[in-house]
Amino acid sequence: MLEEKISEINSGFNQDIATIKDQKQLEELRIKYFSRNGLVSQLFDELKNASKEEKPVLGKSLNTLRTDLTAKYESVKIQLENSKEKEEDKIDLSLPGTRRIIGSKHLITQTLDEIKTIFKGLGFSVVGGPELESDYNNFSALNFPPNHPARDMQDTFFITEDFLLRTHTSPVQIRVMEKYKPPIRVIMPGLCYRNEAISSRSYCVFHQVEGLYVDTDVTFAELKGTLVSFAQQFYGEGLKYRFRPSFFPFTEPSAEMDITCFLCHGKGCRVCKHSGWLEILGCGMVDPNVFGNVNIDHEKYTGYAFGMGIERTALLKYGIDDIRIFFENDFRFLRQF
Amino acid sequence: MKVSLNWLKDYIDLKGIASNDIVERLTMSGLEVEDVVDETAIYKDFIVAYVKEKKKHPNADKLSLCIVNTGTEDLQVICGAPNVESGQKVVFAPIGTLIPKGNFKITKAKIRGVESYGMICAEDELDLSDDHSGILVLDEKVNVGKSIADELSLNDTVMEIAITPNRPDALSHIGVVRDLAAIYNKEFKLPSLKLHESSHKIKDFASVEIEDSENCPRYTAMVVRNVEIKESPEWLKNRLTKIGLRPINNVVDVTNFVMYELGQPLHAFDLDRLAGHKIVVKSTEVESTFTTLDSKERKLPAGTLMICDGEKPVAIAGVMGGENSEISNSTKNILIESAFFNPASVRKTSKRLGLSTEASYRFERWVDPSGTLFAAERTAQLIAELGEGEILNGVIDVYPEKIVEKEVPLRFERIKKILGYSVPNEKVISILKRLGLKVKFESEKEFRFSVPTYRSDIEREIDLIEEIARINGYDNIPTISKISISLGEKVDESSFVDQTREIACSLGFYEMLNNPLQGESLAEITGNRIQVLNPQSIDMAYLRTSLIPGALSVVAKNINVGEKTLHLFEIGNVFNLNPDKEKIESFEDFTEVQKLLFILTGKENEKTWQQPEKSFDIYSLKGIVDSYLLRLSLDKVVADSYYNNEETIFDLYYTKSYKGKILGTGGRVKKELLKQFDIPQDVYCFEFDLNLLKSIKSEGRKYKEPLKYPKSIRDLAFVFDKSVTYEQVIKFIWQMSSELLKSVRIFDLFENPSLGENKKSMAFSLEYFSDERTLTEEEIEKEFSKLISEVSKKFNATLRGT
Ligand SMILES: [Zn+2]
Repeated sequence: MLEEKISEINSGFNQDIATIKDQKQLEELRIKYFSRNGLVSQLFDELKNASKEEKPVLGKSLNTLRTDLTAKYESVKIQLENSKEKEEDKIDLSLPGTRRIIGSKHLITQTLDEIKTIFKGLGFSVVGGPELESDYNNFSALNFPPNHPARDMQDTFFITEDFLLRTHTSPVQIRVMEKYKPPIRVIMPGLCYRNEAISSRSYCVFHQVEGLYVDTDVTFAELKGTLVSFAQQFYGEGLKYRFRPSFFPFTEPSAEMDITCFLCHGKGCRVCKHSGWLEILGCGMVDPNVFGNVNIDHEKYTGYAFGMGIERTALLKYGIDDIRIFFENDFRFLRQF
Repeated sequence: MKVSLNWLKDYIDLKGIASNDIVERLTMSGLEVEDVVDETAIYKDFIVAYVKEKKKHPNADKLSLCIVNTGTEDLQVICGAPNVESGQKVVFAPIGTLIPKGNFKITKAKIRGVESYGMICAEDELDLSDDHSGILVLDEKVNVGKSIADELSLNDTVMEIAITPNRPDALSHIGVVRDLAAIYNKEFKLPSLKLHESSHKIKDFASVEIEDSENCPRYTAMVVRNVEIKESPEWLKNRLTKIGLRPINNVVDVTNFVMYELGQPLHAFDLDRLAGHKIVVKSTEVESTFTTLDSKERKLPAGTLMICDGEKPVAIAGVMGGENSEISNSTKNILIESAFFNPASVRKTSKRLGLSTEASYRFERWVDPSGTLFAAERTAQLIAELGEGEILNGVIDVYPEKIVEKEVPLRFERIKKILGYSVPNEKVISILKRLGLKVKFESEKEFRFSVPTYRSDIEREIDLIEEIARINGYDNIPTISKISISLGEKVDESSFVDQTREIACSLGFYEMLNNPLQGESLAEITGNRIQVLNPQSIDMAYLRTSLIPGALSVVAKNINVGEKTLHLFEIGNVFNLNPDKEKIESFEDFTEVQKLLFILTGKENEKTWQQPEKSFDIYSLKGIVDSYLLRLSLDKVVADSYYNNEETIFDLYYTKSYKGKILGTGGRVKKELLKQFDIPQDVYCFEFDLNLLKSIKSEGRKYKEPLKYPKSIRDLAFVFDKSVTYEQVIKFIWQMSSELLKSVRIFDLFENPSLGENKKSMAFSLEYFSDERTLTEEEIEKEFSKLISEVSKKFNATLRGT
């Protein structure tokens, strides 16, 4: 008896659900079958009248029926809801979204970061030092004798006779070598000051990255290798380079590193002063006198040092023609990078 | 320094070597050639032409129509110069010639309807001078049809060489030749001397005495009598003009010529104006004044080394001669000074006087003490030759203590240790010999070399290694790409600052970089300023005491150009003199601190189709500062303090502190200060001490398991007296709650007459949960209702229906 009804309701439900077109019909279906007085509920009521033997079997069938029908009902319901959403999906996607502002680092910082990342990858630590320095750290300890013309290479802002605004990041070399024992492998980025006439090519403050490596077997050949590796990572693989002799009191032998002008590819242009080369950094082997000043045995240890200006590097890399723009902080400029 | 290739060739045979090879090799051995003017390349197309005929231009008053003969043809040329005449020999640029001035090519042109086949040139067009008053009219002797490169000796290559301070020996043509000889492994010769000395002995006409031999180790003098002062011959004028000097007269020109030839500065005195025909070299004992030959009166400090005659000073030693003894057109008898002065002494004098000359430039770097005699003789010979004078017999050479050649040892194995590659011993010796060094001692492992006195820079083994490296070529040093691993501990002192920058950017801030040098009016706003002793200008005479004044200038500048919404940050050092100090004598007397500044003004968001416009306010600032600290995981340990009416640059002012130490201050900038900067809108900023912040940065965050048990959220709203602050309530809520309370958020705040007078409503959302279990309704309810009654009691607040 009950079994037949179960099968009847099952097929009736299947027929009914096949005709459902909208929410309203679905709701009617729900009421017809699943409401408190619905057909399924009625069957459960009838179960009470079944014999003790039949009850477990029928109960199971009824439960299966209810699970089946509910599942079918739910699936149609989801289908209908999805199609309803599409109907109502009249949103104008062409309207602009709500933008989030993300700031940016100064172009100089970005350039510095790039350089830092490369040297960190080559095993260098990063340390800093003060901008208001002693004359000793900035000059004397770096083998610039007092009253020597080498001091004219760097026009200096003095605070007192013995204190000044550092003219390069090289005094950090002295601080590092006084504090740590070799092996020492560090880069030292920072702000420097020069009392030079301000023009589109020079400003009275600028950033430098200094490098220093001191160990038992550091050679000029390794200095070249390290800097070439840096230049290739920073400026690109295929570049040509040259090292030419130069002079810095704190290194000997000293060199300047040039790379092929990437604006004219070596043919000669205004930027490279028609030489085809761009000077990118100064470097050399740490002078024994400097080691002497920081009590490092220059017979046992050798070392190299290098330094490069960041503003100049950024000018070249981004095609900017006036160095002063870096310190003007025009918001329209800052937002470009 | 300008160097003429033709001049160099007087001393060394460079036949067959292209000038660009010379430029390249000099540069690559340390004498950097910064600029090259190749006259032959510039002037080869210009030819000497003859003006056959000059007529008026039919259509223009100021133009002439000329027929010029170029040696091969007659051409019609229009010329605008007032001085063009028939019969002149002129410089002619045929069609296709590149004109140096303005860098343009001559083309066939129609000028006022008449065709012109070239240009007759003025000096400025040829880049020979700035003269544009008329065309250059040439000497009768030049040959028509020939290139002016040959006819006018415009066939030199002039190099601008940057001589580094360690190479004073290269500050002359001979100096450059010495390097070329070593580079090309060639011989060179000094100019030959042919002195026709008279029978008169110099000792009878002049004397020299050195009182201060420490500052004047050597003084060499010669005398040339009966000299006719006149214009120098062409060859000499040509040499000097090529290197940018203006010829004056034969005597002055010779002293300049010999200085640029040999590197020895020379001075010519009018012997008859020297009292007692005597030279005394001594330092002044008291401050005095002296008129130099540029007619300027100069104040001399005591201790200035002077050249004196029997009565008075006649020259500032090594710097500049005096007006009282200078050569004039009537000078007959000349005393030539060729001396070696102590470099430090000359530099001191030059610095004190603010007077740098070609002579002082060389003396303060070092001239060759062994070279004074040869330079004196060379000068005497040329003056005698060009002025038909008579060289007195002998030389006065006062040289009390001879400066001897240094001996420097070299261990061959150190070359590899420094450079990373081996240079064969024979090559090492050959290079050093080519540079004028002599072997003094030899063994298998070590040599000892004597160094000529002109190479003051070679004193140590490392100096010899440098010479070997540069002459052998840096290109020959291998480029080793194996990079050894150092075992030292890696540090990155910049990582905290880097992280700060990342956070600031993610909070929507753009980084700025300001010049730490600023004017007093800015530096004095925020601290105890430090002054620069030798500033470039008054608006860069002080170091910033805070990042704020510089940032306000930037805000003002940007508002001026229409950028009214700004959200900027800066990281930089600020400098303050300790309050009890007048002057910096040690690092303890001042502070240099790295700071971080957030500054914002304008609109937090523009009005859009979705949301209304909102301006930045104090809560924007607070939110940004708190987000920054949250990201650093410092939000829990840092406390806020709020102030009213403090003596600061802020009217709304608050601080962040840790264990009583103030980490940062900020708020809304006072209107009075904004007025000073001409800023018409509210500006908010906050400045952190990064040194302090870095020192307390939490030990690093640890992983916390995501919550396993549900959270319970309870909202409550109270009506408070208006005077009750958010901070009071929130502190009390935390105080009254157990550890089950995990967060409190204010989500509503308003005032309304319906609440009653001086009342406000604050609504809070509270989050309860436990990491260990699911909380029961009962325990939350118990805690929550206790809180409600405590808050009501404490603040006399009434609970509003939620
Ligand atoms: Zn170029």
